Amino acid sequence: MVSKGESSTLMSRAQGARVPPARTQSAKARNPRRLDVWMIFTYAVLVFGITIAILPFFWMVSTSLMTLGEATGRTFVPSVLQWGNYTEAWVDGKFSEYFANSVQIVLITVSGQIVFCTLAAYAFARIKFAGKDFLFSLLLTTLMLPEAVTWVPNFITVTWLGRIGPIPWVNNWPALTIPFMASAFNIFLLRQFFAQIPDDLWDSAQIDGAGHLRYLVQIILPISRAALTTVVIFGFIGSWNALAWPMLVTNSDEWRPISAALMHFLDEAGSYVHLQMAGAVITIAPILVTYLFAQKQFTEGIATSGLKG
Amino acid sequence: MTQTTAQAPSPLAGLFAGRRWRSLRESLIAYLFVFPAFLIIGTFGLFPLAFSVYVSLHRWRIIPGKYLGLDQYAKALDGLAYVAGLWLVVLLVYGVVRSLLDAHHESQETGDHPWAWLVPALVTSTGLFLFVRFLVVLFPEVLAIAEKVKGVQRTQELFLTLLGEAWRVPQVVSSRTTAMLVLIAGLALAYGFSRWVSAGPRSATYYMRFIIVFIMLGCGIALGWLTLTEIQSAYAAAAEEGESIRLWSQILAMSIGIIALVVVWQLSSRMRFAGWTTTLLVLGGGALALGAKLLVDSGQVTAIELLLIPAGVVALFFSWRAWQTARNAPTTRGLVAWVLASIAMMLAAWLLIAEVPTGIQAGYDDWWEGLLHTVYYVLFTVPIELVLGLFLAILLFQNIKGKGFFRLIYFLPYVTNPVAAASVFRVIFSSRVSAPINSLLNLVGIDNLMWLDEPKGIFQMLFPALDIPPALAGPSLALFVICLYGIWTYAGYNTVVFLAGLGSIPTPLYEAAAIDGAGRWQQFRHVTLPLLSPTTYFLSLIAVIGTFKAFNHLWVLRSGAALGTTDTASIVIFNEFNRNTRYGYASALALVLMGLILVLTMINSRIAEEKVFYG
Repeated sequence: MVSKGESSTLMSRAQGARVPPARTQSAKARNPRRLDVWMIFTYAVLVFGITIAILPFFWMVSTSLMTLGEATGRTFVPSVLQWGNYTEAWVDGKFSEYFANSVQIVLITVSGQIVFCTLAAYAFARIKFAGKDFLFSLLLTTLMLPEAVTWVPNFITVTWLGRIGPIPWVNNWPALTIPFMASAFNIFLLRQFFAQIPDDLWDSAQIDGAGHLRYLVQIILPISRAALTTVVIFGFIGSWNALAWPMLVTNSDEWRPISAALMHFLDEAGSYVHLQMAGAVITIAPILVTYLFAQKQFTEGIATSGLKG
Repeated sequence: MTQTTAQAPSPLAGLFAGRRWRSLRESLIAYLFVFPAFLIIGTFGLFPLAFSVYVSLHRWRIIPGKYLGLDQYAKALDGLAYVAGLWLVVLLVYGVVRSLLDAHHESQETGDHPWAWLVPALVTSTGLFLFVRFLVVLFPEVLAIAEKVKGVQRTQELFLTLLGEAWRVPQVVSSRTTAMLVLIAGLALAYGFSRWVSAGPRSATYYMRFIIVFIMLGCGIALGWLTLTEIQSAYAAAAEEGESIRLWSQILAMSIGIIALVVVWQLSSRMRFAGWTTTLLVLGGGALALGAKLLVDSGQVTAIELLLIPAGVVALFFSWRAWQTARNAPTTRGLVAWVLASIAMMLAAWLLIAEVPTGIQAGYDDWWEGLLHTVYYVLFTVPIELVLGLFLAILLFQNIKGKGFFRLIYFLPYVTNPVAAASVFRVIFSSRVSAPINSLLNLVGIDNLMWLDEPKGIFQMLFPALDIPPALAGPSLALFVICLYGIWTYAGYNTVVFLAGLGSIPTPLYEAAAIDGAGRWQQFRHVTLPLLSPTTYFLSLIAVIGTFKAFNHLWVLRSGAALGTTDTASIVIFNEFNRNTRYGYASALALVLMGLILVLTMINSRIAEEKVFYG
């Protein structure tokens, strides 16, 4: 799919520079008609692709602003924007509660991940100790485990822990957060990042009398902001989008996170399509906002690591 | 740390002591750092694997029930469970022999005498097995504590008392003492051997290796015993009901089929095919075989046959290829080898097509159908996603205005919340007459469809005049809509990853190709595609494995009216667990799924070794 003319544009892309106008023009001059047809085709396909990618989102927002009649009828755009749907979903549909639940769950999970994963990743990257390779490979095997294998045993474990411990785990925050406070993937990611930090930094910190913990907190963490952002974003998305496990361990509204709640709402309020879509917009909004603000972390982090969303 | 060295009396000894102290301290700090993460990952990531195995061997409906052995695997997979069990035993024995042979060769090279180490290794590994037995005895007691504290004021003292009681149950005590004694004896023996019998720099490695040998042997014996008792009890049950079953012949048939497939696989790497002819032949052969099968059975085809027939067809195809190669073989020996291979593969094909389905027909229908749905889902999403992604990436990889914007939007479906995004698909593809897609169809003059509520296969719907048997009707329309969702989500993701891959292809290659007179298509075919193969391989691996694990959108788009035609393997497991509360059975199915994913990954990486071109 690369013509003679375009190979020059490819090269300039590889150099990371904007295409010099002279080159494109010379390419056009060589074969003006063909290039134009090709470009029109390209844009047409790309725009069509965008339409397909956007359409469901458009439909979601549009339906969420319709009346019930419009939502179940053949309306494309609402005649009057029904902002009240959002209040209804937020208050009567209890999405405010679910939203707050999810925010709390995300906060607890992600802070746990930051603390535990950084500590472990630091030890694996910087300190020599017996059994390091064995422990690390043990850790990586958990990445191979499909989630379905963990459902039954973890459910039994969590129930057991709730029965013997001071607070119940099921229908409560521990079952929703503690199992996800450390992940092999994050440890791996952070370890790769920490391992790139030059040894000189550690040597000079040691001369200044810093121990491992102080070095980690005061020097490593501030320069690892990019990696930590990725961990935070992945943690946030994973926790916000989780469905199977929260459905297993919550059966009341008290701690039901938002994705499981939306699923519940879809089943319970079967015919109130407009409210369902309002709920969907509320659920999706934080993710989209994060994506728009941290687009680079998403495309680079996810594209290179192959994390499943 | 520096202080310790300074305070030491002799500088040299002090330095040594300081170093030792320092490395010890470092290790302690490392363990402290790693501990919290390991506690969590160990409890919720590693322990579940062992726990799953334990649960799957029991009848377990909310509370633990009686020990069942491999019953639930046999129930799910029928004959295939025995085959898998016996083959695992073969693999373990192979590992033992291989390990012993390695030790033999090494000892010959170095002149060591390792065989004495078999004795302490045997004792130690026996100790380890006894220790595992102790854990298995202790485990239900600890688990039962949760039942005992029900309705009682929960305090830490109570828990500790109960834990102490569990610790002192007679069986626990006896198994604990024997395990400890044997373990200590093993270690003492090892110490004694290293001092007085067979000292040497490599004795520790021999010791460890022989321990692993005995562990493999023990696992092999245990698994073999379990499988054999399972087969025997199946025969006994059949005899009681006055039926006659032929398990052994089925097991034999399936095993020969598997061996032949492996042979085919090995041979196939030595043959060169043109991609298109292969595809056409396999597809054509598949159609022929299916037609023949249909004629014979007058439409009685089950899901599992549909899964295995293609494998048989592939074997048939390879046998034909082997025959072709045989005709061109330069030597008589080569000729004989190829002819034999061709016969073996004919046999494999026949066994797979004719024998295997009857061997597993008593298996759990929902499970096999779940697998079939998963395969449909892979077939109807992965190739389309990859082609679409590559196409869009190539279009985007030009001098285009707003490239960043396009990429931003294309990635959007992938990063959203799957529940919310799938809920819109529920609305768009609703079976309501006034639903968006139905309205669109009405505009063009097509009747309403049931979409997510439609259990009918799409082939049947495309050709309503033909009376296609249910198993050949293809994925249901409902599953097809779910596939559309999958494509919608992953096409953009693939585009972004392919874009990164395209960016890493060096431009001079294209220039060289252009100078040699290669056109656009030739450049794409001979430069872009081969150099993109690592990306393609990565994406297909992620996609196939991801499909086997997929849950969220499948759950949201699941409709009762679709009669379970959209339930893939994960959904079947979730339902067994959550709705039917059959914990043991769900665990067994989940472990089978894991094994399947492992095998897929292994096959995938083998293919990658052969086909992927890393620059």
